[in-house]
Amino acid sequence: MISDAARRRYQAIVPPHVDDAYALARWLSGNPADAEDIVQDAALRALNALETANVERPRAWFLRIVRNTALTWMAKYRSKSLAFAGDADDLAAIETVDFAADSESPEAILIAAEDGERVRRALASLPPPLREALVLREINGLAYREIAEATETPIGTVMSRLARGRAALAKILEEKR
Amino acid sequence: MSETDPRQDRLLRLNAALDDELDAAHRVELERELESDPQLRASLRRLSAVREAVRRHGALEPAPATLRNAVAAIGRSKANWRRVPLPLAAAIVAGIVIGAAAESLLFSSRATDPVAVAVVADFARAAVSDRQYDVASSDRHTVKPWLVAHAPLGAEVADLADKGYPLAGGRITVVGATPLPTLVYQRREHWIALTELPLSLGDRASEARDETLHGFHMVRWTDRERAYVAVSDIDADELSAFAAAFRAAAGTGGGEAR
Repeated sequence: MISDAARRRYQAIVPPHVDDAYALARWLSGNPADAEDIVQDAALRALNALETANVERPRAWFLRIVRNTALTWMAKYRSKSLAFAGDADDLAAIETVDFAADSESPEAILIAAEDGERVRRALASLPPPLREALVLREINGLAYREIAEATETPIGTVMSRLARGRAALAKILEEKR
Repeated sequence: MSETDPRQDRLLRLNAALDDELDAAHRVELERELESDPQLRASLRRLSAVREAVRRHGALEPAPATLRNAVAAIGRSKANWRRVPLPLAAAIVAGIVIGAAAESLLFSSRATDPVAVAVVADFARAAVSDRQYDVASSDRHTVKPWLVAHAPLGAEVADLADKGYPLAGGRITVVGATPLPTLVYQRREHWIALTELPLSLGDRASEARDETLHGFHMVRWTDRERAYVAVSDIDADELSAFAAAFRAAAGTGGGEAR
């Protein structure tokens, strides 16, 4: 049984962050129906965890649960469409992302950035660890240490993933089409 | 941060500056570098453009209301929650509303017939709990004895499988304090609950009559010995067709009951 105290903590922590949770789940799963299932699952996990958990940063804490739920969920139901963080091949792929192809033309990005569909496709095409770092930073608006908590990675890795993610995205958006 | 690759190190600091995560000392240092290095300034513009693009176009629509309600409901529930599909969560909300309506209607003199309220509430409850029957069987020789043992009525059970309504089972529906036999038929992925009533609770008219309550369709009719009410979430015409099929098969269209 869930105690009333846990329910009170749940109401204070989970419902206020449902939009953030949904956005993250959508970017991780790539699909709105899956995202709803993932967030609902995550909310149940959060309720059970709140029986004992000591939560300092509620949003990062709940988004970590959402992320882990998404990982489990995708592995279970969509195993073919997602190689996720921690996967050795995937991390190797990140190493090959050109860290800083210093183009002199922010103009090309500015033009491509007008095309919302193109930006979303580019973001969706990034390796998941880079994508999730960018989503947590730009869309959820998390600080570095919150991203570190949500993804269970050291801050140095978060910084490196953000830098690589942005460099990779810039490169995709600069490509002529 | 790598000490061996100054370019990488600088790029990490540029990103950190963009994210407002750089401490004061590093910020001053970076600003000095930016002043003297046009290429670094171009990199910063490039990164800013990427960041703005993601912020502008990456934000998707907010969580749908169904999800918002489901997430809020999880914290309110007193029962032990297991995971429920979202349409069902919406149905739970509807069920609560129906439950409240049933209570107020039962005590209101101008209310819809309490039988109708009770069977619709029962149908909603069964849908929400995903427990449509107390006895599960497609064999009427199994369902009928069970129903008769639990509700003091005749329990007419018609076999309608060849008409497209396989029997799924039976359950007891309580109206007031009276237990009544209910047959549960299946129609594609929908359920049809057919409750048998004593004549005292039945409709006066012998012709089938359909109604809608809280979005569920009902068809009611009365024969010589008993009255019936069928409830379902299939549409009214389909439910009427079911009622006609049942009456024909059970020989209760005015004829004798088995």
